[in-house]
Amino acid sequence: MIRVAAVGDVHYGEDSAGRLLPMLRDVHEHADVLLLAGDLTRRGTVTEVEVLAREIAQVQVPVIGVLGNHDHEADQPAGVRAAMEDAGVAMLEGEATTVTRDGTTLGVAGVKGFGGGFAGASGSSFGEPEMKLFMATTERSAGELAGALEAVAGADVRIALMHYSPVPDTLQGERLEIYPFLGSYLLCEPVDRLGADLVLHGHAHRGREKGVTPGGIAVRNVAEPVLRHAYAVYELGG
Amino acid sequence: MDARDHYLAAEIQEALARDPRLAELHLDVTVVSGAVHISGEVATEERRAAVLELLRERFADRDVHCHVTVTQTEGPQAPEAIA
Repeated sequence: MIRVAAVGDVHYGEDSAGRLLPMLRDVHEHADVLLLAGDLTRRGTVTEVEVLAREIAQVQVPVIGVLGNHDHEADQPAGVRAAMEDAGVAMLEGEATTVTRDGTTLGVAGVKGFGGGFAGASGSSFGEPEMKLFMATTERSAGELAGALEAVAGADVRIALMHYSPVPDTLQGERLEIYPFLGSYLLCEPVDRLGADLVLHGHAHRGREKGVTPGGIAVRNVAEPVLRHAYAVYELGG
Repeated sequence: MDARDHYLAAEIQEALARDPRLAELHLDVTVVSGAVHISGEVATEERRAAVLELLRERFADRDVHCHVTVTQTEGPQAPEAIA
């Protein structure tokens, strides 16, 4: 069995120093790995992420993360990623990594993802170039997620980690009009096709924690404002 | 909804998102008969103060009611076994 701690949307800034530190220092008492589901920062500056990185560096279990849309606001995503990597975090964007604990190998496939909407109410790659680019961004992300899931096909337990939501279930509580900006069914298709044990995402602060893919795989929205806890803990492979 | 209320709500929502002190995309703004109501949660007390500061700077002539609160985060959530 492997215990997975997860949180997203911590939105660190210069005013956040120490906010989660007491809980982060104790993660090893509750979990074997910590997953971060994007929106590490408020505006995506290196200065902001360094506040978080200093605290993450004190976590005593492996940490794996993806970026979120806020981490792109200042056009410094490479710097944000590098600061987290310097703190020892495995940052994933169309990539996968593994962690082994007590003979159980966890494979994590990660992407930021993007929007578009959900089956029956989704944008299409049609019309203006801007609309085609929007949907192509999500399609590319879904393709990269598929590649990452295939890369950890042999793991005992597999998690798909993303920022945007792959299902509408976990968005309930958000305004229906903004669902296309909160996620896309395209991110769900590779998960159901290739298999996983759990999907984790953030982004939807007013959504709810629990959902499921059309193929029956558990989905959890771990945005901090949804959890109202420093992180959730999931036990897998037991 | 009155057209002025409608566009004022949109203007405030956009200001909350774009102001570099805030970058807040998750606050609700409603305007009824010129009275502005802002609600939702932010991560820190400093950000709640920044919302008030922005409103004072840019919308001082409006009847503004700020109901924004700071998210209260507890320790780890109880473990859940995923089948």
